[in-house]
Amino acid sequence: MENLPLAEPGVQLSIWGLFWQAGWVVKLVMIGLLGASIWTWAIIVDKSLAFARMRRSLNRFEQVFWSGQSLDELYRTLSERKPTGMGAVFVAAMREWKKSFEKGAKSPIGLQNRIDKAMDLALTREMERLEGRLGFLATIGSAGPFIGLFGTVIGIMTSFQAIAGSKSTNLAVVAPGIAEALLATAIGLLAAIPAVIAYNKLSSDAGKLGVRMEGFADEFSAILSRQIDEKVTHQRAA
Amino acid sequence: MKAGLTTSVIAHVALLGFGLLSLSAPKPLEVMDVESLPVDIVPIEELTQIQQGDKKAPLAEKAAPTPTKRPDVVADAQNAGDNDIDTDNPPTPDGKPKPVKTAEAQAPAPTPVEKPKVEDSPKVEEPKPVPATELAPVPTPKEEVKPEPVKEAEPKPEPVKQPEPKPAEPEQEVAAAEPIKPDAIAEAIAEEQPKPAEESVSLPNAAPAPEARPKPAQAQTAKAPERKASEKPVKEASSRPQSEETGSIEDQVAALLNKEKAKGGGAKRSTQQASLGGEKTTGGSKLSQSEMDALRGQVQRCWNIPAGAMDGANLRVSVKFKLDPSGALDGSPEIISGGGSSGVERAAAEAARRAVARCSPYTLPAEKYDAWADVIVNFDPSEMF
Repeated sequence: MENLPLAEPGVQLSIWGLFWQAGWVVKLVMIGLLGASIWTWAIIVDKSLAFARMRRSLNRFEQVFWSGQSLDELYRTLSERKPTGMGAVFVAAMREWKKSFEKGAKSPIGLQNRIDKAMDLALTREMERLEGRLGFLATIGSAGPFIGLFGTVIGIMTSFQAIAGSKSTNLAVVAPGIAEALLATAIGLLAAIPAVIAYNKLSSDAGKLGVRMEGFADEFSAILSRQIDEKVTHQRAA
Repeated sequence: MKAGLTTSVIAHVALLGFGLLSLSAPKPLEVMDVESLPVDIVPIEELTQIQQGDKKAPLAEKAAPTPTKRPDVVADAQNAGDNDIDTDNPPTPDGKPKPVKTAEAQAPAPTPVEKPKVEDSPKVEEPKPVPATELAPVPTPKEEVKPEPVKEAEPKPEPVKQPEPKPAEPEQEVAAAEPIKPDAIAEAIAEEQPKPAEESVSLPNAAPAPEARPKPAQAQTAKAPERKASEKPVKEASSRPQSEETGSIEDQVAALLNKEKAKGGGAKRSTQQASLGGEKTTGGSKLSQSEMDALRGQVQRCWNIPAGAMDGANLRVSVKFKLDPSGALDGSPEIISGGGSSGVERAAAEAARRAVARCSPYTLPAEKYDAWADVIVNFDPSEMF
């Protein structure tokens, strides 16, 4: 048995070499997966930052809200800049309240309904903003391995075709093709694993924030409804 | 979103750059250059059975008899040796001093050397079959031969002579006066005519057993006897005519005594170093399953199963018998088990014995006679139904 060179001199086994030798389909898959990975991490970073910001703003708002400050004053300061989170919910409710009272609304039940609707809308918009792009993480998490596998299958197919062409089953002929094909699966997994983990973490975080805002919305709705009742009894008394 | 994207891109580029630098081509596996081993599957009998070899030689991987000197191959030879004919006898041991004595004894009767010419023709034939490894015997008969037949024989001894110059030298010295021809034989002939007396003296010199021996001894010391055997008859042949011619009883006795040596040993040549083994290769002396079945079938054909032997457990009979090499029954079959007291059992035993006797001779592979010289056959009626 002669001593066979394990890798032919022309074959580079570094990762860059493997990528460069791959067929265009496999290359495309790899590039796509790399892009997906970049986008995944961009989302992860962005969402992490956004959630942290949101959590901070919720804390600050709650502090201010329960500090006993007058709601009108709070509304004035908040509506000057673009509010987020609870602030947005609060501003939406206050706006509806003001509009109704400026025009002299008669029905307290209708006012209550309108305020709830406005708050729900603001809440939904906020949640959408929080959860946006998390779907992409889920998609990459589930589809990434499959895309990588597709690249691998194509790569192995072409390498087997090459073997059939060269009429040699030597491992040195088989190995580089299979290695480059497996690289596609590796990149797919590299993109998918963080995506899955991040998706689970971020979606649960978003859920928590949503619950917190809903709670505030309910509380504020209760406060407003009390105020409406007070005003209505006041008006009747007057 | 921008912050996230830039962070991600930077991280990926950094990671890829690090990967490209650090995860370069993996080291090639260091694979030992393994020799592939050819494996033969050899039945164990072939190895455990005795191989032909030398009983006194040290153990080696392969048994081999002592190397023989003669290159010619004798067909179908079984026993190793330098003999012309394959015999079972062991090679005759030689007494080394003898040739010297005979030479001395011959020396006093020098005269008639030239006469033997009459008897040349038979003598010439004798040396020929012996492709002598030693030159000495070869030239001697030729002294008595007429030049013409000798020349025919010349080519044979020549190659032999060249490797061993020693015997030729003494002759040359004796024949110093003669024109020096490349042929030792021609020299001998030429030399013989002027000095008949000296010739007989030179004869033993020319056959200096001790001188010639050391050379083969490099390869093998034990082989000497066979050589002797081949060399002696020649000497004897050369001396016999002398004695006839002289008529001297003393010479005749001297000539008859110690001269002839029984030819022993086989004719199978061996070139390998001697190593431990038996006298004969006994490979394959075991009946194969199909051969056993054939024997069984032959016996069964002649076996009349005793009536009422259905419950045959107690009717089992073992018969032992001897066969001669032709396959015929040798002696009478002996019942070694079964054939008890009851009438049925005795009948079964007799039936078995009859079966063995009636089927003789058996056809069995002759070369495995060792294996079937003694046969024990079990007759079991219960297996027949």
